[in-house]
Amino acid sequence: MGSRSRGSTTLPPHLADWARRIESVARAHGLDFFPLEFHLVDASDVHALAALGGFPVRYPSWRFGMEYERLEKAHGWGQARIYELVINTDPVVAWLVRSNAESEQKLVMAHVCGHADFFRHNTWFAGTDRGMLATMARHAERMREHVERHGLERVEQFLDGVLCLDNLLDPHRDQRRLWARASSESLALPTHDVLAWLVEHAPLEDWERDVAGIVLAEARYFLPQRLTRIVNEGWASFWHSRILTGGVLDASEIVDFADCHSGATLQAPGRINPYKLGLALWRHAERRGEDLFRLRSLHNDASFVDELVDAEFIASGVLPPPARPRRGQGSEALERDPRHVKERLLSELAWGGMPCIELVEADRGRGLRLVHRHSGRDLNFARAGDTLARVEALWRAPVVLDTFEKGSPCRLRCHGGQLERDDGGAATCIDLAS
Amino acid sequence: MDRIEADRARFREIVRGRIRADLGRYLSTTELIARVGEQAVSVPIPQVELPRFEFAPGSDEGQGPGGGARSEGASPRGDGKAGEGAAGDVVGEHALEVDVELEELAEMLGRELGLPHIQPRGRRELESEGARYSGLRSRGPDSLRHARRTFAAALRRTVASGTWDPARPRVVPEKDDLRFRAPRPATRPHSSAVVFHMMDVSGSMGREQKEIVRLEAFWIDTWLRSQYRNLEVVYIVHDAAAKLVDHDTFFHVRESGGTRISSAYELCLQVIRERFPQELWNVYPFHYSDGDNWSARDTERCVELLGTELLPRVNQFCYGQVRSAYGSGQFKKDLDLAFGADPRLVTASVAERGEVLGAIRAFLGSGR
Repeated sequence: MGSRSRGSTTLPPHLADWARRIESVARAHGLDFFPLEFHLVDASDVHALAALGGFPVRYPSWRFGMEYERLEKAHGWGQARIYELVINTDPVVAWLVRSNAESEQKLVMAHVCGHADFFRHNTWFAGTDRGMLATMARHAERMREHVERHGLERVEQFLDGVLCLDNLLDPHRDQRRLWARASSESLALPTHDVLAWLVEHAPLEDWERDVAGIVLAEARYFLPQRLTRIVNEGWASFWHSRILTGGVLDASEIVDFADCHSGATLQAPGRINPYKLGLALWRHAERRGEDLFRLRSLHNDASFVDELVDAEFIASGVLPPPARPRRGQGSEALERDPRHVKERLLSELAWGGMPCIELVEADRGRGLRLVHRHSGRDLNFARAGDTLARVEALWRAPVVLDTFEKGSPCRLRCHGGQLERDDGGAATCIDLAS
Repeated sequence: MDRIEADRARFREIVRGRIRADLGRYLSTTELIARVGEQAVSVPIPQVELPRFEFAPGSDEGQGPGGGARSEGASPRGDGKAGEGAAGDVVGEHALEVDVELEELAEMLGRELGLPHIQPRGRRELESEGARYSGLRSRGPDSLRHARRTFAAALRRTVASGTWDPARPRVVPEKDDLRFRAPRPATRPHSSAVVFHMMDVSGSMGREQKEIVRLEAFWIDTWLRSQYRNLEVVYIVHDAAAKLVDHDTFFHVRESGGTRISSAYELCLQVIRERFPQELWNVYPFHYSDGDNWSARDTERCVELLGTELLPRVNQFCYGQVRSAYGSGQFKKDLDLAFGADPRLVTASVAERGEVLGAIRAFLGSGR
């Protein structure tokens, strides 16, 4: 395959041989993926790449610099080590860290095969732009032009404002469009696709609309990864174990493999490690005799957990107990109740772990109304207020957010940069002018 | 990927702006002091992250799947040992820490307080390192190649190896003949300073009073360090008797009992005489107490020591009076009465942390 040999040129010959061998084992197991391109990079380069979300060329932003600094520090303190990065493109590009031991490189290559198969076949990734490497580079180019024309401070300020809203997306957008057979791109209210709606309707200058559009496109590209962390990492870990222990590693490497593997699947108390939970769920699915390839095509984290977590799985003890017991209500017994454990996990996974915010009403004169579809967890109010101010800056008219705090309705209003809070049971009140 | 450096530079620029804007807050918290390393201090910066609609921490068991709150962070990460995701998400919720060079911090402090640069007293100069390109070495960049010495080396080799032909006097330098100019340490005059921090640790100085002293001492050191290339710090604690201590002891010791301030001044004077001759050193004694001295006679003794022995030897003597529940605050009044407008003695009182800034400005604002 042409692109495979192109990608392999950056691997030393013995690793390239291994890559070919591991790929063919993976394909023999039924994994199916776009051609793989492996590149070796230095540890410091991998931090830069990780800060940039895996893409070597992106628009300039201090946030990438901050992430880079954080990664370098964490690495320096021995808190984190990155073995590999893989991005959802065609061909699939994977960056391997030069300093990995050889057994680690094998593990990582097998792991990448699992991700690549998942990217290609999971339905949540169906709409993603597989040419994102080039798209990101074009975004960077356009952003630089805007900076040249309008100045760094101005573009940066606007960009930061839009980035605050980059989680106001509709995870079910593709499905909805499919069901509605909507041919037009235009959105109707109410919608969860708040950022997209603002990009379309907010009174923006051309360059501003372009910047907001870039943020939207990139956020949409990354969203499926947020929705499928457990199922995707689990799938990749499931297959790297299977491929490596099925003849790829020789006996002397098994202990290294087990060490590396157990490090990656280590779970801190009270905290979910997606590698560990995902792997356990996939093994559970196999025990139940499920069609694994069908499952990996259909599920995101929430639906996967819903489908597979049963009393038997909970009894296996993979799900961590709560970090601290809830005071006042419930007992140890309730915490261990399978239905309760599962519900709690589901509520955390729903909507990609973000609050579900819906845009229900928009009127140039009277303003814009967002509703937080409360599902048991309150918003961080300080941050919500700041974020709402960014919405107002974009919409250039008053904005309100209806939510609940500790069970009672609560409304945040932002007008002229001023925040007001109204706890007077306004959740159902529609009159913005009041 | 090289562009990440530009992103990082921009990030640091933004952070420095934050610190500058918020310096007053940093000045009145001891948080920073615990974070000082050799050259830099790691400053916690709250709220650099962009705000988003997100759940309140602890609104559930806080058992979120890794990466939930971060969009970019959710891109496929490596198989981080112990979970890259797990490590990363914790950091996201805490204040970010940024390393700032002490020198830069001093510069910010100087600008914030409008501090004048100190004019070291003329004759107090020491020889120190500088560098001049007067040395030679056999490796170096072409721009520093020493042609004459290179030729000499080549000639010497040619003659020694017996290939020298007077009829055809050709000398071809080889790699080993090359000579390059190299920096050689040179002596250059510069100034040194010594700071004395003297603290009253008698029973009436409580934890809060010591914290205030600690803050003042930290910022004073930071500023003076930026003004003198060579700064020595001497710590003295006293109750009824004075003793020399190291940095850690100074900040943690708790003595009790009476207060005889003159004991500290005597010790300070003795150390200056023995180790810091005034021709070579700029001397800055700082004394902190709650203003309660043992007796009026001891205060007289202090005034006498200051007037005849200490003040002539120092650039400036600073007395910081920290208000405590038990202190009378008499000592500052006595000093002010005795020395009035003498520019060599500066007194300031600090009732609470917020006033530390004013005291530092009073102490360092004269530029002596």
